[in-house]
Amino acid sequence: MVSPVGSGSPPGMTAQLAVSGVEMAEAAELAQLEADPEKGGIPGARRRKKLGPLFWAAVTYLTLLTLAAIFAPVLPLKDYAKTFKGTSKDGPTLTYWLGNDGAGHDIFSRIIYGAQVSLIVAFVGAIFALLIGGSIGLAAGYYRRTVDTIVTAVLDATLVIPPLLLALSLILFLDPDAQRRVFILILVFVVLSIAPIARVVRASTLVWSEREFVMAAKTMGARDGRIMLREVLPNVAPALVSYALIVMANLIVVEGAVSFLGLSVPPPTPTWGDMINKGRTDLDVAAHIVLFPALAMFFTVLSLNYVGDRLQERFEARESVL
Amino acid sequence: MLRERPSRLTAPALIAVVLWAWFLGPRIRYIFAAVLIVGTVAAFMTNGRYALRRIVGVVPILIAVSFVVFSLMAVLPGDPAINILGPSATPDAVEQVRTELGLDEPFFNRYGDWLGDLVMGDLGTSVQRRQPVAEGIGQSITPSLQLMVYSVILASLLAFPLGVYAAYKQGRRPDRVINTVMLGFFAVPNFVIAVNLVLFFAIGGLSVFGTRLGLKVLPGAGYVEFGENPVEHFKRMLLPSLSLALGQSAVFMRLLRSDMIGTLRLPFIDLARSKGLSTNRILWHHALRPSMFTLLTVMGFSIGALIGGALITEVIFTLPGIGSFMFESISRRDYISVQGGTLVIATLYVMILVMVDFLYLALDPRLRTTGGGLGGGNG
Repeated sequence: MVSPVGSGSPPGMTAQLAVSGVEMAEAAELAQLEADPEKGGIPGARRRKKLGPLFWAAVTYLTLLTLAAIFAPVLPLKDYAKTFKGTSKDGPTLTYWLGNDGAGHDIFSRIIYGAQVSLIVAFVGAIFALLIGGSIGLAAGYYRRTVDTIVTAVLDATLVIPPLLLALSLILFLDPDAQRRVFILILVFVVLSIAPIARVVRASTLVWSEREFVMAAKTMGARDGRIMLREVLPNVAPALVSYALIVMANLIVVEGAVSFLGLSVPPPTPTWGDMINKGRTDLDVAAHIVLFPALAMFFTVLSLNYVGDRLQERFEARESVL
Repeated sequence: MLRERPSRLTAPALIAVVLWAWFLGPRIRYIFAAVLIVGTVAAFMTNGRYALRRIVGVVPILIAVSFVVFSLMAVLPGDPAINILGPSATPDAVEQVRTELGLDEPFFNRYGDWLGDLVMGDLGTSVQRRQPVAEGIGQSITPSLQLMVYSVILASLLAFPLGVYAAYKQGRRPDRVINTVMLGFFAVPNFVIAVNLVLFFAIGGLSVFGTRLGLKVLPGAGYVEFGENPVEHFKRMLLPSLSLALGQSAVFMRLLRSDMIGTLRLPFIDLARSKGLSTNRILWHHALRPSMFTLLTVMGFSIGALIGGALITEVIFTLPGIGSFMFESISRRDYISVQGGTLVIATLYVMILVMVDFLYLALDPRLRTTGGGLGGGNG
């Protein structure tokens, strides 16, 4: 199987829809899962690459950010809602580590508290989407036929609606007065991620349920539920977990976009997107107001993608596909 | 003859269409429609069965989309009648508007009526805008399609050379540098790129120790029609297109690179090399085409996703496109516009995907024989 990724399956792939380029690549990779890495395959491809220092740097950054966000209330951070007099648009100083915004807020503590919103929403959203989308994909890939046809049609239909558009309409129609925005955001993000996750799981399940050990389990009279959970799921899971990280990264971007448009959690709670949006007016005189929240978001998204990519690579034991 | 090389007919036809539309007032809507028609006709002439199957396959998706969009809007809480009239409306007035909108009828009757109107090209009339939805969308579709085309062109200009070069130098320093930089672009959200482009190209950049790092050469917002002033039009579209293109090119480049690395390991490349062909010729003529399948699919998806998906870019650069239209409609709780707009966006998306499927006919000779699409090659 040295063939280029695409040439084996050009026409069939396109009939199915996917949300982003990454996901397509994911599906293409998953569809081509090689046999056990212990056996056979290309000799060169078996050598497992080290995860590398960048991987650990990304993991460290994510861990630190998460810990800081969780323990923000007990950390010696300045009050994010307080305006400090005479500090408007000041650059970084020893007292205010990352400077102050136009209103004189401390940017550092606002970034940490902003991480709370982004991370909670993305994490909880991805977990629920994983549970729901995973089950749907598993069922569709295992039962095939009618179940698969119906599921695929519905998934395709939701995938052709741009995610941001879907998110904005759901948020504004479900929660016009921002009464329970966090809950609604999570709900919307679950809705957004079910389809991509279900697709990837389905593609992978299709491949795995063809394998001999599944056949063996069937002949031994195992029930469908047992086969799905004990035989197929453990094989699908590793790739799925790393894909979930990429889904989380996407959700953080969508949350950023939503808060940029002023529709995420209402003030005074800070969000990264809102900080970037507010800072736009002072961009030419005090770019750090935009720069630091943008960097925080950039490193978070980059780290999640990088960790996800690396893990995926490792689980798949393929070296050619980045 | 056509079956062997469909591009001999389609390519001149497409160029003629684009040129014709360009000189006869560049209405991108007409170009789009013409491309759809030429593409479909060419596909039918090349491999009728394949084309038919693709087109028939779209129908259930579109029906499912219309159902999802309609039921989503119907299930959502909040009475559209109250949204229109305001909270202080009398019950009688609300009842009257509900009857006018047909809201008191059963769900499936309403869906049927809506679908019937759709087929006739009637997307309903927005009460808030006092304008048919189809008309509003028609006015705003042009900037969106232009933005889409320009950003894909820019993204390809970046992605193709970089992807081919990175694959050629795989694992070595140029490859690693390109990969890292592109992964960086990929991780920056669109709107952050947009804000930074405005900073460095529109408002004069940062001031570091008294020197300004940046330029003030391009307008940061606004839209000028092509017909009005072409130069100004491109100046205004450059930053928005670029802000979308950078992230896209990262995705394209990564896919092209990984597929190309696979292709370069195949025996026919060794053959080409032993024939003494130049590296450039092997890379661009022999290796590129079979490496483009995944890329093409993904390009279809991301081009399609730009219609309406570029919402935030359109809002930042105040382009009067369909993204801005939708954002406004959503903010005003204009149910009818949101329904119609979402459906149009989804339909255009699906149409672009079908066009990409047809492009496979030009790329992959195996598909040109009738029935060739069934097996999909043997990998």
